[in-house]
Amino acid sequence: MKIKKLLFVTKFEDLCYDSLNSLLTLRKAGLEHVVFLNVIERDKVAMKRGSGYLKEEEVKLKETANIRFIDWAENLFELGMEVGAYIEVSTLIPEILKAVEKEKPDLIVIGRSHKGPLEQLYSRSDITELTRRTAIPILVFKHLAEDKVVPEKIFERPLFATSWSNSSEKAISCLKELGNVIGEMHIMHVVNEKDLKSSDTHEVQKVRKKERKQLDDLCEEFEDAGISVRPHVYVGDPEKEILKAAKEYQATMIILGFSEKTAILERWMGSISRNIADKSIYPCMLFPVKK
Amino acid sequence: MSKKVLVVDDDPDVRSFVVTVLEENHYTPLVAQDGVEGLEMIEKEPPDLVILDVLMPRGSGIRLYRKLKTDDSLKEIPVIMFTGIAMRSFLKSQKALDEFNGGEVPKPDIYLEKPVEPEELVRAIQKKIG
Repeated sequence: MKIKKLLFVTKFEDLCYDSLNSLLTLRKAGLEHVVFLNVIERDKVAMKRGSGYLKEEEVKLKETANIRFIDWAENLFELGMEVGAYIEVSTLIPEILKAVEKEKPDLIVIGRSHKGPLEQLYSRSDITELTRRTAIPILVFKHLAEDKVVPEKIFERPLFATSWSNSSEKAISCLKELGNVIGEMHIMHVVNEKDLKSSDTHEVQKVRKKERKQLDDLCEEFEDAGISVRPHVYVGDPEKEILKAAKEYQATMIILGFSEKTAILERWMGSISRNIADKSIYPCMLFPVKK
Repeated sequence: MSKKVLVVDDDPDVRSFVVTVLEENHYTPLVAQDGVEGLEMIEKEPPDLVILDVLMPRGSGIRLYRKLKTDDSLKEIPVIMFTGIAMRSFLKSQKALDEFNGGEVPKPDIYLEKPVEPEELVRAIQKKIG
């Protein structure tokens, strides 16, 4: 599965040209088309008492976005790339889905969710919502920590946390196409403490040996595809261990499959992928469940 | 019979502006919202002139322009580029694609950077198709 076309969803305050620029390394793996999408939330131009629908504000916001997109597009056109753009007054997720339907991208790039914790509890985060409604991989782009520095080479040292699920298989097939792009990839599997039959050393070592063998087989597949990899088995709480490994290996991005938990269960209990995507400082590439 | 001019632009305000200019000057306007729709219309019923935007969803004007200029049955159709993208960037993109694909695509007959006055657009159209 090659990434030839990406949908770059921006509100400008979260994702700008520097973020896009750091993704252009994907050209080495076949990226040739970028589609921009800016959704102006309805409440910015909605009917206000005394002033009605803010048509002038809509025109101003659309033109501002258009000027930014023209500027970005000129840079990409000059590289020989294909570029398209949508600017819509609407609601974010339905507009993303419409653009996905029309453009059939191979990757959606989006900034961190801007909903507050209470809003997320009832309406879910944009990212969770998106992973539920599309089968296309999603890159949640983030500026690193407080200094807001864009990671220049996000594919330099990705950490791929596999759960051996369907969505992990999808990730494997996509990552194998990125041999020219990925520097060194760390692959990990976390054995959940709850899944261990007993806590005696022999049992734990047996489980580790089995998982390590499976990871080694996967490493061989990646090495055949020209990607340098290092396998790791962790035991503990998956969310914590993944973040620990990302820190230990100075990961530039975390790659995750998405769980198959039901929507209601996930809303109240959360999921590992959702929590990491929403809360961690690392850019995350999410692979929704295969549909 | 009036000459047919196809306007390919994703912005409804721009389409409306160009259509008004065309109608007032006794041309028959046809409209397409993006490069894909534009190409379908051109192949179905070749117009006398194409007025083409560059930055559009579902296929940019850059690709459509190349398609028109490299297809033997379509390359004689005159094209006016009508866009917010600077001509310099357009020419650089064509150069990059020429290098990548081999061959050389001719420069556009007329390149108008938005916004333009109606008179300027009419002059450009008249220059190409009378």
